[in-house]
Amino acid sequence: MALCILCVASLVLFTVYVKEGDCTENGCGPLHTVQLGAAEVLRPVRAVFAVAASPFEGVSAAVGDAVQQDDEQQLRKDALENKELAAEASRLRQENERLRELLGGQRPSYEYASLARVIAPVGDQFANRVIINVGSADGVRPEKPVIVGDNTLIGRTTDVSRHTAEVMLVTDQMFAAGVRIVPPAELDRSSGELSPRNGDTGSYGEGMLRTGWEEYLGVEYVDLSAEVEKGDFVVTSGRAGDYELLFPPGLLVGTVESVSSEDIDQFKKIVVTPPIEPQDLEEVRVITDW
Amino acid sequence: MVAMRHSISRAAVVVAVAALLEAVLSPYLTFGGVSPKLAVIGVVFAVAGLQDLQAVLLGFFGGVVFDALGGGIGLFGVGALGGLLAGILTARVGIAPRGAEVLLLAQVAAVAVAARDVIGLAAINLAGLEGPPPIKFLLAGVLPDALLNALLAYAIGGLLLKFVRKKGGT
Repeated sequence: MALCILCVASLVLFTVYVKEGDCTENGCGPLHTVQLGAAEVLRPVRAVFAVAASPFEGVSAAVGDAVQQDDEQQLRKDALENKELAAEASRLRQENERLRELLGGQRPSYEYASLARVIAPVGDQFANRVIINVGSADGVRPEKPVIVGDNTLIGRTTDVSRHTAEVMLVTDQMFAAGVRIVPPAELDRSSGELSPRNGDTGSYGEGMLRTGWEEYLGVEYVDLSAEVEKGDFVVTSGRAGDYELLFPPGLLVGTVESVSSEDIDQFKKIVVTPPIEPQDLEEVRVITDW
Repeated sequence: MVAMRHSISRAAVVVAVAALLEAVLSPYLTFGGVSPKLAVIGVVFAVAGLQDLQAVLLGFFGGVVFDALGGGIGLFGVGALGGLLAGILTARVGIAPRGAEVLLLAQVAAVAVAARDVIGLAAINLAGLEGPPPIKFLLAGVLPDALLNALLAYAIGGLLLKFVRKKGGT
């Protein structure tokens, strides 16, 4: 009897959660609110684990090296320390440049939340998401584009609490965005403006960007007649006919890695390389309005 | 001879901590379709030896905590149902002969992990989201996930059992 009641309770929880839908600007349902509260409480714990996990790759490599070396151990140790110092200096220089770029690459017509740092990844095999340290107190709302560098789209916000926000990355299998494929020469990356040679933006290949279960990022539903080449930029289209889409136009989401099609296919098969790997993310910005 | 009996409060602590650890650690330890299902393992070893009602309640409680912490696929109810199944499976298995307990419970953990994976896939499809192809997911996701979690359960099960048991009583 108890088992039946609890099974029904689980299904009710699931149904209510799905019916609530994603958080919107009008707020979240009770179950989403519970998860947001928990995320807020867990923020310091996640941050601690993120810091604790970060050096493991370096440590494991160092341990592996140490096992293989015996004679010139001290010399190698010194060399390693020097390399680490050089790497640290290089990292700081790159971080400095990246932060300058982030601050300098803003488009005047957009409004941005303050610079955010990635706290930790979340989810399991079905998800590719991160938590960032800005939230509703910083003007962040659900379903807003998240970018890095010079207006490169890396995902969108989903659940937002007061001081944190969950970002669904473009490589998440539930992410989708309307995109346009443009030759590099016809896109001004800093402004996102297109300068078509034939004066017609309608000639670009258009489709939907998503990661399929074959686990590659691709653009679907691109017409066979569309001109797409390796190396073309994939940018958000902003509109589809009369519909305004979730992302502003002209945000870079990747580069075309390969294009193929079979005679029986209805659409081209386009594989896209994302501009940045999720594990390389550090600082990001949320576009709050445009 | 001193009898050992389960402490419900300790079992609840194990379940809650396991749910918390999985929600926080799992993203770092996910390799393809495989990730440590600490919440399920925690439930299985925490409720072993408890009565049916206690086991299902504790399993449900662990699952709800896990869902609230946004663990797994993040859909509320999936963890609760998974925890519930882990609880009832463990209770139904009953008490194993001394010495074979950990091995038996590791097998229960494997089944419970597989069940939660399948529930997760069903939930994704029911929620209207696109899930992986079922056959591929069963072979490349559920199977290795269950096997590796069984190994993990076998490795840490003894410690968990030791913690949830206390001396005295019947």
